[in-house]
Amino acid sequence: MLIVAALAVWIAGWALNHWLARRRERWVPLISALIFGATLLLIWELLVRGLAVPAVILPPPSAIAARLADPATQGLLWGDFVQTFVKGALSGFVIGSGAAFVVAVVTDRSPFLQRGLLPVGNFVAALPIIGMAPIMVMWFGFGWQSKAAIVVVMVFFPMLVNTVAGLKETDALQRDLMRTYAAGYWQTLLKLRLPAAAPFIFNGLKIASTLALIGAIVAEFFGSPTRGMGFRISTEVGRLSLDMVWAVIAVAAVAGSAFYGGIALLERAATFWHPSQRER
Amino acid sequence: MKRVLTGIMALGLSAGAAEAADELTLQLKWVTQAQFAGYYVALEKGFYEDADLDVEIKPGGPDIAPPQVIAGGGADVIIEWMPAALAAREKGLPLVNIAQPFKRSGMMLTCLKETGIESPEDFKGKTLGVWFFGNEFPFLSWMSQLGIPTEGGDEGVEVLKQGFNVDPLIQKQADCVSTMTYNEYWQVIDAGFTPDDLVVFNYTDQGVATLEDGIYTTEENVEDPEMADKLARFVAASMQGWEYARENPDEAADIVLEYDATGAQTEEHQRRMMREINKLTEGSDGTLDVSAAETTVDSLLSGGEAPVITKRPEGAWTDKITSMIE
Repeated sequence: MLIVAALAVWIAGWALNHWLARRRERWVPLISALIFGATLLLIWELLVRGLAVPAVILPPPSAIAARLADPATQGLLWGDFVQTFVKGALSGFVIGSGAAFVVAVVTDRSPFLQRGLLPVGNFVAALPIIGMAPIMVMWFGFGWQSKAAIVVVMVFFPMLVNTVAGLKETDALQRDLMRTYAAGYWQTLLKLRLPAAAPFIFNGLKIASTLALIGAIVAEFFGSPTRGMGFRISTEVGRLSLDMVWAVIAVAAVAGSAFYGGIALLERAATFWHPSQRER
Repeated sequence: MKRVLTGIMALGLSAGAAEAADELTLQLKWVTQAQFAGYYVALEKGFYEDADLDVEIKPGGPDIAPPQVIAGGGADVIIEWMPAALAAREKGLPLVNIAQPFKRSGMMLTCLKETGIESPEDFKGKTLGVWFFGNEFPFLSWMSQLGIPTEGGDEGVEVLKQGFNVDPLIQKQADCVSTMTYNEYWQVIDAGFTPDDLVVFNYTDQGVATLEDGIYTTEENVEDPEMADKLARFVAASMQGWEYARENPDEAADIVLEYDATGAQTEEHQRRMMREINKLTEGSDGTLDVSAAETTVDSLLSGGEAPVITKRPEGAWTDKITSMIE
């Protein structure tokens, strides 16, 4: 019965979106996305109940929502969020992408570093996080510092490679023009090359933003104090509190999307002139 | 028990190899090591085959929760610690203990002597490494019995989520770490510490030991007569495996090594582990000591603010399977 209801919900949601898609108002894409999401949640709820899936395998969304609504859980989740996102991911993101930016500018001036550093960079970027994490815990302790260190390692090279590529964006004609204006290295860098590199830099930042959260969460599997999103996930799975695990996942998804979205908004404001940002 | 076993064996032989044996999947709690020697010995020595069983042994690992595997239909029986099994039971997964090959607990808290820790009262203000993923329950109930908060501070203890190694102790990031008599304790020794450098708190001596490595299945399986018969044969053959492992520790360790697909275990470590494990299974014929189970329950219920389980479980263990053997 519930399975039939799930099918009906699917068809209704699909029909509604189909009808909406023909309209051209501004709010249609947003509403369509909301309807799609709500349909998925409803089907999930109905199927889990209809097929009597044990809650230790997949809890229904209503159970997860009930968990999220519980004030005690909210307190825990807030502590986890601060520990993992603010302390671990965000500080690692700032240090890692900041350092990568500086190194990229330095590398750009030195052909030796370009040939030597970038291949090594690729190599380090390919190291698996589960290999790095225990080492970082050994070096920097159990606190957020070791998580930030892993995030630094993870975001450094995507950011470096993107920035280096971005700094190559200007062509000889543009640089010659700067020279005829009697602009020095720094003026050329600040007024021509960095703005031209901005789309690449933001690309690097966007990649880094998602890597940062993943890195900070996974790193907590390898030793942590008794708080943090990664700690909560690995502990609550062992306790079979899958509703709690999903609640943490929901928080992580929202935090990650907001982080990415924030950078995308910044990008739009900073690179409004770039073809990729026009016609929006 | 012996007589019944020979009976089963005779049955198995007369049934002949042509007939398909009953399939049974066992999910271990941890990676292939001497901790599970009884099952590997029973497989290698053909005790399962003699009982007309085709047993598949699935090794576990740091990211595998056996109760979840059995809930998802990935196993028929699992090896689990009683606290985790009872917690799962409260979460709505009706696990039942059908046999208990481990009579004693191997869990300890191992501290460095130089930290000045001599008794549990000295834990205050110290940093302790604890395993989570369902293995934290005995520690948490111990601390709540001692009345020590686990939130840190001068009057409480700072708890670290310890990885499955003893690095935090060796690097002095923690004052104490969780160890098992048969495994991590020896990793500390191998790292260059002598027993004199260490202060060891055995959970058994502290009166907070909980039953480890029991054989669990679901209520549904126990009630199904055909499955119950299979389980009884499984438990009997497994106990035969344990008996063999106690009599031939080196050979048992070698059998475990053979089945270790990862190749991560060493002969020295496994032979030593086998002897330590044998101390824990000594004297067990598989039947559960109900008073020990009650002690486990009491210790878990007395969890203070955050008890591991909130109500006394009913039907969490049964002698139905073991009594079918005798």
